[in-house]
Amino acid sequence: MSKGILLFCFDTETSKYHKILRRCVNLIRKNLKLPITLVTDLATFHKIGDIGNVNYKLITPEQGNKKDAKPWLNVDRHLAYELSPYDTTMVMDIDYFAFTDNLRQFVDTGYDFLVSRQAHNMTFTDQPPRDRFGMIDMVWATILIFNRSPKSKLIFDTVKYVKKHYYHFTQLYRITARNFRNDYAFAIALQQVNGFVDYEVLPMKLHTLMPQCEILKIDDSGLVWRHDNKVMYTVDQDVHVLNKEVANV
Amino acid sequence: MDISELKRQSDLSYDTAIAKRNALEKAHSRQVVVYKEHIFKADPHTICLVETLKKNNDKFFVLDNNSNPVEITDPDKFLNLLIARNQESLNAYHQIYKTFHKRGE
Repeated sequence: MSKGILLFCFDTETSKYHKILRRCVNLIRKNLKLPITLVTDLATFHKIGDIGNVNYKLITPEQGNKKDAKPWLNVDRHLAYELSPYDTTMVMDIDYFAFTDNLRQFVDTGYDFLVSRQAHNMTFTDQPPRDRFGMIDMVWATILIFNRSPKSKLIFDTVKYVKKHYYHFTQLYRITARNFRNDYAFAIALQQVNGFVDYEVLPMKLHTLMPQCEILKIDDSGLVWRHDNKVMYTVDQDVHVLNKEVANV
Repeated sequence: MDISELKRQSDLSYDTAIAKRNALEKAHSRQVVVYKEHIFKADPHTICLVETLKKNNDKFFVLDNNSNPVEITDPDKFLNLLIARNQESLNAYHQIYKTFHKRGE
């Protein structure tokens, strides 16, 4: 049974995601010790340079989505089932920094599909990550773990269907945001596939630094950030960094 | 009343509260363990349950974090894993906790 990590990385006009990718890959190698497959486009591929033994899948990312009025190439996540070469796959956002091996064990479960439904705001202050939107609980598609079962395939097929009719589903679930978010698409698909009742989840919170947090320093063990004129740090704790300026640290 | 001292103490308490909350969440994340393809929390409840059940049973059933039943056939191995992960996480929390006192000095 093969197990590995699938990453998506596409540079945009405003964000150099390939720089964030390098840190992410280094931490995966150090702490998770799983093979890596990277889904990227040709332009980003040429900028990445040497990051060691990585399996590449080149695609042309779908354009058109925006976040904060900037291009956001995030709508290809539904292809993970087809693109992954592994029997059990962990899809991870490249801005999720695995400073521990906590995630490694979840590729050894018997679950068909796992995703977390909760985030922990590490700043304790404004804008707590919302765990609920519209009419259903939100999931954090930052980390997805799935196998090759028919149920997993059905979930991804449903995400494709939700994506195709996204406006309809945002109206149906009273979602106010108009841009496409994988978090919403997967939450809707999971609810539909699971018969509109509760479903099995990854029982851990994703520790999150909100976009307002300025990352001051980052190394192999942890990071330092400033928020509201306060400087804080953490070590040996996985962190999802939402401020894309981390690429320049 | 020294307002500056009040502000200093208030800021210190706030910073400590954030650090404590993050340290606790970090410990909770570390306490999530996979055993026999199921997910458990290495918390006092699970540890006490396994310790109690293993006194009179070589095999028994417990529920995982998603309320699925799991047969435990090697209670000692499972209990050792739970205790090891619980104490590892709390030891790390304790190291951070000690720094809270130093902040006020």
